[in-house]
Amino acid sequence: MNTAHTIDQKNEQTTAQIITILMAIIPGYDNDFWSAETELFGAIAEFDSMAIVTLIGEIEEQFDIELDDDDISAENFATISSLAELILECD
Amino acid sequence: MINCNAEFYSGTKGQLFRLTRTPENINAHIIYIAPLFEQANQTRHMLTRSAISAYSQGVETVIYDHFGTGDSEGELIDASLALWQQDIIAQISAIKTSSSKPIFISVLLSAALLINNEILVLLDGLLLIQADFNGKSFTRQFKRMSVAGNLVKAPISKSSNNKNDDKGCGDSSYVDIAGYQFTQQLFDELAKQNINKLSEYSVACTWFEWLSSGIELTPSRLKQLQAFQLILPQTEFVMVDDVKYWQATELQLAQKFLQQEPQIILQLLEKYKAGRQS
Repeated sequence: MNTAHTIDQKNEQTTAQIITILMAIIPGYDNDFWSAETELFGAIAEFDSMAIVTLIGEIEEQFDIELDDDDISAENFATISSLAELILECD
Repeated sequence: MINCNAEFYSGTKGQLFRLTRTPENINAHIIYIAPLFEQANQTRHMLTRSAISAYSQGVETVIYDHFGTGDSEGELIDASLALWQQDIIAQISAIKTSSSKPIFISVLLSAALLINNEILVLLDGLLLIQADFNGKSFTRQFKRMSVAGNLVKAPISKSSNNKNDDKGCGDSSYVDIAGYQFTQQLFDELAKQNINKLSEYSVACTWFEWLSSGIELTPSRLKQLQAFQLILPQTEFVMVDDVKYWQATELQLAQKFLQQEPQIILQLLEKYKAGRQS
């Protein structure tokens, strides 16, 4: 298995895990609403400060990482894909 | 019809709003300790469901608002950890003077930060529901509400992202986070709370921990559970595969938990009776 394949696989797993967390926090959407490209910040009404903080808490707990307050930015929380990138950088 | 009484109880520093549900024949008492700040709003509907369910088993239940919160008297800015703890102790002690039935408390999420040894020694049983004894992590998360709030308010201005409202009252002895104004001292006290402050003690205890099937406990949760077991070795851990209602942006009911909880209360009662007989 080459490195690129491993990275892709990890990215997919991370994305799937984020989606599971988001579906619990924002349960009002169908499963097919969520994908790596799903826009979060500014795109979903329920994605408010409380949802962001809850999401951060779950990410830290489930991925066993610690995010810096500087990581709480519009760029990092723009899409599920950008969040996955952030997590993989911290991992 | 449920015999429910809304009243103001004379707390340590002011009147506390309480809802007491008293069945005809009381087998036990449960005081529900509400979690802190936003968690209180996110969980009240489930506390009510739990209380009604316990009532139907002959348990008198008390749900109340901490001083300076909800419909209780006082301002949050005048609250302290010691005051909230004294209010718990006073309510348990008051029940003890008028009833010989066992007294349990139900502790949900951040309410665990209020539990101390003085409270533990008064109890006949303890229900912990996804208890969070990690004050450092709780306060860090709470502080992030400001960071996230600023982000939501001013999404275009990246430079404002990481401002927080800490000391927003213009005074370093106060904290203003997401509309909650309280003393820096309370914030610091909560941040310092952890399991290791509790002494080893013997009381029947059940800890409900949310865990989806096929998923392992996260390291931080496992650490809390293990640390608590050292303090209350007879603690029984019950895994709950249900919705994390306190996280959801819409009201959710954890039905599986609501089905499990009455059985656990019955078990606590049995343990209490067995302990009395021996």
